[in-house]
Amino acid sequence: MFDDRSPIYRQIADRIKADVLSGALKADEQVMSTNQYAAYYRINPATAAKAFQQLVDEKVLYKKRGIGMFVSAQARDMLRAQGRETFFGEVVDPMVAEARAIGIPLADVIRRIEQHEKGAV
Amino acid sequence: MKIFRVLAKTLTAYSALVAAGVFAFAVVVTFIVSAFRGVEISAWNVVTSQIARWFLLWVGVYVIHNLLPIAVAHGRTRREFLVAASGFSVVLALAMALVAWLGFVVEGGIYAVMDWRADEHGTPLAYFLMFLVWCAVGMFCAAAFDRFGAGGIFSVPVGLALAVVTTAGIPGSGNLPFIRNVPVLLGSGWHAVSVLAFLIALAGTWAVARDMPIRLRTT
Amino acid sequence: MRVDVQGLTVRYGDVTAIDDMSFSLSGNKIYGLLGRNGSGKTSLMSALAGYRRPIGSVRLDGEPVFENAAAMGKVCLVRHSADAADKGDKVSYVLEYGAAWRDTWDNAYALDLVELFKIPLKTKVGELSLGQRSALGVVIALASRSPLTMLDESHLGMDTPTRYAFYDALLNDFMAHPRTIIISTHLIEELASLLEEVVIIDNGRLVLQEEADVLRSRGTEVTGNAADVDEFTAGLTVLSERSLGRTKAAMVYGSLDDEQLIRARQLGLELGPIALQDLFVHLTEPVGGKR
Repeated sequence: MFDDRSPIYRQIADRIKADVLSGALKADEQVMSTNQYAAYYRINPATAAKAFQQLVDEKVLYKKRGIGMFVSAQARDMLRAQGRETFFGEVVDPMVAEARAIGIPLADVIRRIEQHEKGAV
Repeated sequence: MKIFRVLAKTLTAYSALVAAGVFAFAVVVTFIVSAFRGVEISAWNVVTSQIARWFLLWVGVYVIHNLLPIAVAHGRTRREFLVAASGFSVVLALAMALVAWLGFVVEGGIYAVMDWRADEHGTPLAYFLMFLVWCAVGMFCAAAFDRFGAGGIFSVPVGLALAVVTTAGIPGSGNLPFIRNVPVLLGSGWHAVSVLAFLIALAGTWAVARDMPIRLRTT
Repeated sequence: MRVDVQGLTVRYGDVTAIDDMSFSLSGNKIYGLLGRNGSGKTSLMSALAGYRRPIGSVRLDGEPVFENAAAMGKVCLVRHSADAADKGDKVSYVLEYGAAWRDTWDNAYALDLVELFKIPLKTKVGELSLGQRSALGVVIALASRSPLTMLDESHLGMDTPTRYAFYDALLNDFMAHPRTIIISTHLIEELASLLEEVVIIDNGRLVLQEEADVLRSRGTEVTGNAADVDEFTAGLTVLSERSLGRTKAAMVYGSLDDEQLIRARQLGLELGPIALQDLFVHLTEPVGGKR
């Protein structure tokens, strides 16, 4: 389930972030408990707790004492803003490099993107 | 106390059942023999004076070799176990002496009805002391072999020496291979000698098993 | 339960299985005890369980364990074969020993697990398959609910679905009843995500003790042009190197600082994580750690 490489808590945190971005987890919605997460993903509960702590530190989640963890109101906007910052560096630049390596003219790439814009793909 | 309860409950009941089965078998054999010739000896005496002590020895071996490691694996100390096993050996020997005596009573009744002749047998006390020592010797030898492997062989002559003294008070049990008629050697002090033999075997068991490592079993 | 080992040595005749080992476990975590065959895992756990008199000291919550009734009652070790069972005993009888002799034993849970692992209650231990016997060991260990529970290679012979059932049972019971659990295993990859802390031993000595996540983040695989990789790894702890033509991959042990990360980017090197299992292999390799 995990690639046993990068720390698992980071992988879990990334997964929760992805759920918030996609809208699967909504603002002020309760997240599964540490133990539920641990049992579901078959991981140590301390690891799950670490992921949650990281998300609380990043203000993606907030804690209600004695009840559980909730998605903070600004989480989605914040993650979207962060995603926009890194989008060109992490997604577009490597794509351009790949296109060049395999010999696709950038004009073709741009044409394809324009088709997406028009909803033709 | 928990260990003692388990030992007493399961092993004593088991031993009594085995004894009852053997008794029934002895009666059947006696009846079969009676069909061919006159009955002149007590079949139960053969069982109690010769076979029973080996059974008690085996129980002693089983307690140390099989049950002690299991008790330690279930979080009990060797000390707790040895206390329980020591008490258990007394209870088991008592119970088996009682069974032996009961057997003689019932057998005596049958013999009287059938007008058969029985030979002389030992007193319940004599049987108790013999069973006690043989059980303790079994524990001692098992501990020695478990702890020292083949080196445990040293316990055999010691165990044998301790075991033979107990046969003094029991007619028909004093003859062991190579050692003839021990009772005559000991004379009238055999009670005290038997108790001493039991204590020596028990002390030996404690000395060897007290900090014995629990080896990996190849179950 | 806290575990303190101080100067522990275990010898069998001339063979030294554990050599002057010292470490502490703060407790109430799932620990992985990793080591190659003959590294001393079983000897170490046997000493922790009071199975043998230690040279040096083994303390559980500050109490020496050997022949100490209070401490012994809180420990359970199940080694390869079921220690707590006799070949001739029926499975149901094995559970009765646990119920009779352990204060912390949960018999209802034991019966649940027996059903989960499909162990026949009326069968003798000696007639069980290897996988079933291993599962019985797991039942004894988990149902003991001991504050210190140790499982030595307990998945031996279990098939994959049974192993996963075991991992789930272990995890759920640990969360419901937190306690100190030590597991030794060769299937590191399968178990890695369950472990909170890892203790690696080799040749009877402690190699390292670390949080599993921290350990994972310590290893980096550096891949790129051989000359660049050599320049980058100079002065670092290199666990192993592999070459393919002009490309070279080196496993580096130790956290990299920002300066090193920038340098790696400048050199066009690819940095990747290393699996716990690979780290283990290279940390316990014979002298030099090169292959």
